[in-house]
Amino acid sequence: MNVNASRRRWWTRGVAFACLLFAWPGHWGVAAPVAERLAVCLVGAGEHSERALATLRPFLEKTHNVNCTLAPTDLKTGGTRSLEMLRTAQAAIFYHGPGALGAADAAILREFLHSGKGFVVLGAMREPWSSMPGFIEEVLGATPGGSFAGGERLTVINLFPHPIFGGVTRFETEQAMPAFAKLADDAEMIMEGTVGEETTPLAWVRRRPAGRLCHLVPAAESVILDPAYQQIVGNALLWVCGRPIPNAVPAVQRTFMPDSFPGSIAITFPNGPGVCLDPVRGGINYVWDGDFVDLRPRWLTKQGAPARIFGDVFYREKLWQPLRLGSPGSEPHFRFRGYALKADGPEFHYEIDGRDVYETIRALEDGKGISRQFRIGPGKQSLWVNLEAQHGAEVVARGVESDGNACCFPSHAAGEFTIEIRRKTGGGIR
Amino acid sequence: MRTETALSFVRWRHGWIAYLVWLGVALSAAAAPAQNARVSGRVRKADSDAPVARAQVRVEGPTLVGRENSQIIQKVKSDGTYQVEVPPGAYELWVTAPDFEEVKLHVDVAVGDAVVRHFELRPLQRSPYRVETLRLPQQMIGEVSGVAFTPKGSLVVTNRRGEVWIRGYADGAWRRFASGVYEGFGLVANDESDVVVIQRPEITRLRDTNGDGIADVYETVADDWGITGSYHEFSYGLARDKAGNLYASSGLCSFGRGVDLPWVRGPLQTEQFMPWTGKGPVPDGHRSVAQYQGWAFQISPSGKLVPFASGFRQPLGVGVSPQDELFISDCPGAWIPTSTLTHVEKGGFYGHPDSLKWHPDYKDRKMTIEQLAELRRLPSITLPRGLMGTSPGQPIWDLTGGKFGPFGGQVFLGDVSSLLMRVDLEKIAGAYQGAAFPFLRGQGLRIGGMHNAFGPDGALYIAQTVRGWMSTEGNEGIQRVVWTGEMPTEIQTLRLTDKGFALRFTAAMGVSAGEPRNYQVRRFQYNYHPQDGSLRINQVDVPIAAARLEPDGRALELELVELQPGYVYEFVVNRNVTSRMGSPLLNLTAYYTLNRLKNGETKPGPSRLVAKAAEPLRAGDPMRGAEVYRLNCLVCHQADGKGSKQVGTPDYTMAGGPLSKADDELIAVIAEGKLPTPPGVLAMPPWGNVLPPQAIRDVVAYLRKEFQKPAP
Repeated sequence: MNVNASRRRWWTRGVAFACLLFAWPGHWGVAAPVAERLAVCLVGAGEHSERALATLRPFLEKTHNVNCTLAPTDLKTGGTRSLEMLRTAQAAIFYHGPGALGAADAAILREFLHSGKGFVVLGAMREPWSSMPGFIEEVLGATPGGSFAGGERLTVINLFPHPIFGGVTRFETEQAMPAFAKLADDAEMIMEGTVGEETTPLAWVRRRPAGRLCHLVPAAESVILDPAYQQIVGNALLWVCGRPIPNAVPAVQRTFMPDSFPGSIAITFPNGPGVCLDPVRGGINYVWDGDFVDLRPRWLTKQGAPARIFGDVFYREKLWQPLRLGSPGSEPHFRFRGYALKADGPEFHYEIDGRDVYETIRALEDGKGISRQFRIGPGKQSLWVNLEAQHGAEVVARGVESDGNACCFPSHAAGEFTIEIRRKTGGGIR
Repeated sequence: MRTETALSFVRWRHGWIAYLVWLGVALSAAAAPAQNARVSGRVRKADSDAPVARAQVRVEGPTLVGRENSQIIQKVKSDGTYQVEVPPGAYELWVTAPDFEEVKLHVDVAVGDAVVRHFELRPLQRSPYRVETLRLPQQMIGEVSGVAFTPKGSLVVTNRRGEVWIRGYADGAWRRFASGVYEGFGLVANDESDVVVIQRPEITRLRDTNGDGIADVYETVADDWGITGSYHEFSYGLARDKAGNLYASSGLCSFGRGVDLPWVRGPLQTEQFMPWTGKGPVPDGHRSVAQYQGWAFQISPSGKLVPFASGFRQPLGVGVSPQDELFISDCPGAWIPTSTLTHVEKGGFYGHPDSLKWHPDYKDRKMTIEQLAELRRLPSITLPRGLMGTSPGQPIWDLTGGKFGPFGGQVFLGDVSSLLMRVDLEKIAGAYQGAAFPFLRGQGLRIGGMHNAFGPDGALYIAQTVRGWMSTEGNEGIQRVVWTGEMPTEIQTLRLTDKGFALRFTAAMGVSAGEPRNYQVRRFQYNYHPQDGSLRINQVDVPIAAARLEPDGRALELELVELQPGYVYEFVVNRNVTSRMGSPLLNLTAYYTLNRLKNGETKPGPSRLVAKAAEPLRAGDPMRGAEVYRLNCLVCHQADGKGSKQVGTPDYTMAGGPLSKADDELIAVIAEGKLPTPPGVLAMPPWGNVLPPQAIRDVVAYLRKEFQKPAP
């Protein structure tokens, strides 16, 4: 091979690579890579359902990258004519329920509900699920109980910080709400309604091995028309499929977390995980596989209990104030100075013996761990981070010397380094 | 409650053996029929047979003093009926309801009594202040705990759920400015993008740095005080002086009821500064367990926290006067006999000794109650339990220039009950004291008025939450009190003179206002002690020597036959005192806290006034004594009076045992306690500060009747 030919080939490859690079959607402000469009089956029962789903469909297709197919309904029986398309769908939305089903469709539905695919139910009612007895209690995980607060208008609609509410700043409705009680233990209530001192769940999610689900109780026709509601439904669809939700941002809440000093901070990332950062101990107490923390135990009575987390803890740390100056064994003067909310994760500010340390906590792309990016201000002594052996997670330090027991950032100048915590396969330790 | 109390007592005293003893006794006691007395009746409107909405019956009496809550408060049922069960004894019952005058009566009950007392409530005069409820966004949780205005006039609120909302001054639209803080309690608004909030663990500055209307920076301003996981622990505030110093406070945490405290920020000290030496568990379990609980703080503009003053219990209301002086309201309980509003000076100690654990000069000292009393600075304003609420909120000064009516410069503060109070302060011999008036009760005013702020419209905005303390039927949020412009007929000011008091009215009063018989003046004190609150003590009526109404009808001078410092003076005006236009006074009661005379004297001298003689002691009543024994003695002395070897209590049934002694001797042992007789190791605690003398007589009579065998 002569040199010129080689140069030409490399030149050609270079041009082609540059063209490819230029053509990459990221250059045009388009999210990349483009996810496959989600095939979603819309299932309702009766004319009213068809109308509601027809309202939702264009919104979902336009904004949430989905292809919807509408299961045909039988106006005579108030049921669904065929659920065949559920077999090929990746997810489903049930408006109230599927209505009357023949034996074949009931079998398809049962198969779907155990397939591991996600689904969203809007305003579940007992009658439209009559062909699947026990669905509401066993699968949705709640017991319907008539009208909430005698049908009075809700005084408060509380949207708890959850990725499903990404991009939603206000959701209001005049709809009288049906009441649900006896939520399953693993049901995470993400929306709650209040009249006077009574409360009722308005939305909850479950992460079943047989498939994620989300139930949104509000589903009146007037609600369906609300763009905020449509956004919630679209987000719920993405959530049950484990897909990223546009506009969903990490939630940062200061509260009383389990196994933590009071005033600890729960950080929940839209696609997981959850992190408990303890400003008193001066470190991350634990990381768990979840995207939600339930603060209701803290609020509902005057006594209060620590907040509740769902999912496996896979990282736990107990060392007292692991950030040290000078040597790993020095006694630090640690001060928590607050935090800034950023799109991909909060940046915390500490002072270790007067040296500024900023830590940005981000979720790993697959939600299986976190990256702790440390930005260090100038100082006169090296910064040490004491590490603790982990069974459920791998801890990798980058841009810093580490012997497995501690990391050392030796520079007196400002700089950065990262510690990545990733869950080992099956690495739950709780 | 009784079981819980007994449980703590047994654990404290005797460990597990005694616990087993107690368990058996408790089970048998639980199975035994109740021997309380019952007081029941109906509360209705005076002008009709209709029940009174949201009425409450409160019961107070010596036999309740040793309880954790020394008042029984019960809601009247919707049909107007009520029923309370109490141990035998003497009680004050009073009934309050929004929009109605309170009614009080005295009742004596014996074991098994079923006493019926009906109440008729007269409606209050309608005040020319309108209470309006702000409509909140459906997304806002209405447990509003703090309220402030920006200099431009935007309304800023925080709530227990940790949100901060702003209602823009220009468009009136609400937006959620911040979330995720831990029990926001009070705030100071620098502007629409910069708010300082106090949350449980710290004071935080919230800033919107990217102009999207939402705070993105949560900067820790100060957090140098201890916190625990106790449910009953609060960080209160926030107020700022002209120099930019912030003021906040920390309440004691509830520790006496077995609260588990595994996690504490800062040092932990669970032992009491003044160990409880009385009978049974500590009556009020509030303690300064974590650093600086029970203190007020000053935070400099650079964020330096200075422990400013100590001795607080639940210093809920923190305010700064127009003269840049710190005032704090506190809630009654141990060492704080009733609600207070106090001018707080740097280094001052204001009553609750547990906070002294963290005081560099006192932390290692053993002090007596007398020494504490000497160290204690008195509250500027005493807010007597009952008419003046139970947990006062933030004080705020009316600087509206008349937009809020004729009380410019005076202080307003809410309460956890449906009450807004007004305070007229004056400086006497260098220290603040003054008069407190109920200002607004009812007219739609809701409970839980913790913080307030005057708006640019001159209305008083009140943040309301009770944090699950009591039922609100969801009626929490924000209300504003608006003056309609009509002049209220009120005592505008009540000031001290050399020989009595000078009253100024908001309207020209008729001749009835000048007649001494239309005023009842009474003075009283409170006990400074470790028990939950205090009953009034040393109460006497103070006759009026002369009354002089100025010709314009607006000023009245009352000369009393005797004026002594160290008392609260209660003024009750007859309802026939009206303005020249015929309007009765809207509020007929006022309380003046007289710490100092005009000449600076603070110690009461000899008095010519004699307190109403206490009822003479009767012979012991064994039936009443049985109940006293069951409630207080049975745990250690057993139902059969044979005592317990494990506990070390004697056998009353034994010939030559304790009951062979004379009554006086037995009474002295019960009242003063007794050291253990070997091999016993546990002392008999003194009961004289818990049981009234008559109850001790009754229990001795019971012991004799029930357990003493006739001499052979």
